[in-house]
Amino acid sequence: MNLVPLALYAVALVAYAWHFAQRNPVVGRSATTLLVAAALSHTFVIGMQTMEAGHVPMTGATSAISTFVWMLALSYLYLEMTTDERAMGVFILPLLVALQAIPAFNPSIEDRAEVLQGPLFGIHVSSLLFAYASFALACVVGITYVLLFKEIKAKHLGFFYARLPSLQVLDRMNQGAIVIGWIFLTIGIIVGAFWAAQARGGYSALDPRVQAMSLQDPKIFVALVCWLVYSFELFAARRIGWGGRRAAYLSAVGFLIVLFNFVPISYFFSKSHNF
Amino acid sequence: MQLLLIGISHRTAPVELRERVDFQVRGVAGALRALAERGSAREAVVVSTCNRAELYVACDEAAATRQDVVRFVSEYNGVPAAEVAPHIYEVVDLEVARHLFRVAAGLDSLVMGEPQILGQVKDAHTVASDTQTVGPVLNRLFHTSFAVGKRVRSETGVGSGAVSISYAAVALARKIFGDLNSRSVAVIGAGEMGKLTALHMKAQSVQHITIVSRTMAHAARTAEAIGGASAAPWEELDAVLSASDIVITATGAAAPILTKAHIEAVMRPRRNRPLFIIDIAMPRDVEAQAGEIEQVFLYNIDDLQSTVRENMARRASEVSRAESIVRDEVDKFGVWFRSRGVIPTVVALRERFEAIRRAELERLQFKLSTLPPDARARVDEITHLIVEKLLLTPTEQLKSLNDADTVGAYSEALTRLFGLSEPEERRKVEPFARNRPPTRR
Repeated sequence: MNLVPLALYAVALVAYAWHFAQRNPVVGRSATTLLVAAALSHTFVIGMQTMEAGHVPMTGATSAISTFVWMLALSYLYLEMTTDERAMGVFILPLLVALQAIPAFNPSIEDRAEVLQGPLFGIHVSSLLFAYASFALACVVGITYVLLFKEIKAKHLGFFYARLPSLQVLDRMNQGAIVIGWIFLTIGIIVGAFWAAQARGGYSALDPRVQAMSLQDPKIFVALVCWLVYSFELFAARRIGWGGRRAAYLSAVGFLIVLFNFVPISYFFSKSHNF
Repeated sequence: MQLLLIGISHRTAPVELRERVDFQVRGVAGALRALAERGSAREAVVVSTCNRAELYVACDEAAATRQDVVRFVSEYNGVPAAEVAPHIYEVVDLEVARHLFRVAAGLDSLVMGEPQILGQVKDAHTVASDTQTVGPVLNRLFHTSFAVGKRVRSETGVGSGAVSISYAAVALARKIFGDLNSRSVAVIGAGEMGKLTALHMKAQSVQHITIVSRTMAHAARTAEAIGGASAAPWEELDAVLSASDIVITATGAAAPILTKAHIEAVMRPRRNRPLFIIDIAMPRDVEAQAGEIEQVFLYNIDDLQSTVRENMARRASEVSRAESIVRDEVDKFGVWFRSRGVIPTVVALRERFEAIRRAELERLQFKLSTLPPDARARVDEITHLIVEKLLLTPTEQLKSLNDADTVGAYSEALTRLFGLSEPEERRKVEPFARNRPPTRR
């Protein structure tokens, strides 16, 4: 059952790629249908895990990835349906497939440590996951912006010119996704700090992971770097005219940091977040 | 029923002749009525544009109708037959469908993939439909052609990419800014070129157009000629540039009027909002290096021309995909068209069975009259149902036939087995399609 969403995401990826190359509307609609089916089956899997564990699965490292992929798929579908633009699918789907492969082959056991009980923790994780999903979208939109920008600048109007929406639209999508992501990132970090302070004062203060929660912990440090990068991007886009291509590059850099923080750092380096 | 097409187009006839063979001059509806009166065609549609005059006809005997329609083309337009004949092309059977589908898809147009032709084909069908000269065959043929035109346009790149300089510029502007409604345009230079380009931009309903010229009076005159545009003196050039999204330069200046440094200075207060500069002046008005500035998109006339050439090449490379869609649809239409060959046989068969039923009821009239009225009604109903049931499977089987030889063999066999009348006799009852109510889908 764990493999069904992955398989559907993979098939949807093929359909999106085919649609991107051929621009056949029937293939495009099938691609969306497949992605909706993938998201639904994923919802079902997550729902089952929630019933089993009694809470949304996001404490284990791999189940957090699964929840992230699910949120990203839903956010992308929302974007596609509100803008009627399918071209971005071919860029987002590889990310979904690659990330979903991790939880699909290493399902983690959801045993929530006692310290993680309570609503603050839920808000912390879910707002961060949602922020990361927004940043992923911003990154993909940013990449497509750069591809189109280069074609127009080089006066060689070809492949992407025929397939992507206008630079203006891409820029607006990028900025919108970053604003939303930044808001949730901020909420997630603040709630996390608040929760850590609470945990230290509570009965689980002796948990080594709680003790490791400081700026020296790589996971927390990199998250703050992320926040700085995106804060700078928002400031630069509004105040010093760093819209367009520079914002697109920054959103790609920002998301690379997010991804780095999300997968390898959580696995290997963090002492505070390995629940 | 056979399909026939008689026509001339830009491929076969010079413009002098096309001007004289133009059904639009006296109205297409009038031409259709005149053709109908000759009685040689059962259904007809006239497609008449500046590049083609084509008569699509459904008839019983293509060979005879062909001669009459060619005569009609010459007589109706008052052009001697000897002059038209060498330029006319004649197409029969499913090749007619192929030709119409290619026309509707823009594959037969002067500019490959141009979109207007589909609308013109639709108009031609509407006129014929209003004049009541279309029947089931041409209706089906034309409706299929609309679908083919749509499919080719949406599934291939045959109609994509601008193929004229001004459209290339507008398409680029749209790719940079999205919607042009809220964009301001500055035209530098009040000459004829600048004015034409400004008019073109106005047609895209941009928010505002400002004309800047070294001579304020020229700028004012051009602005007035365009209507809804404003003029600005040369001294305000920088302010106008800062406020604009699209700048078109078309002055006669011998040296560049906008240098890279100049544009860099203009970009600063704009906070790097994109600026699209179209330099249509010769020699150029804008330093080429200005295109290196982030968020400045500089295109000169040669750049636009080369994108047009690329688009043309890309359209040409999509033709084979479009042709395969056309092939596909011709095959589908062919299946339907050939299956129509059995319709007279089916009708005759049903008439024969119904006649037998009526005759038998008539014969038993004497005995039946003793029954109460509702019992008589039941007898009528039951006999009717028996006939329907007997005919159901043969009718379905006949309608599913799709090659002409089998249809012929089956019709022949049924005609002999059941002693059906010859199809020709029945056809005479129903001479021209215009006597029937219009059939529209």
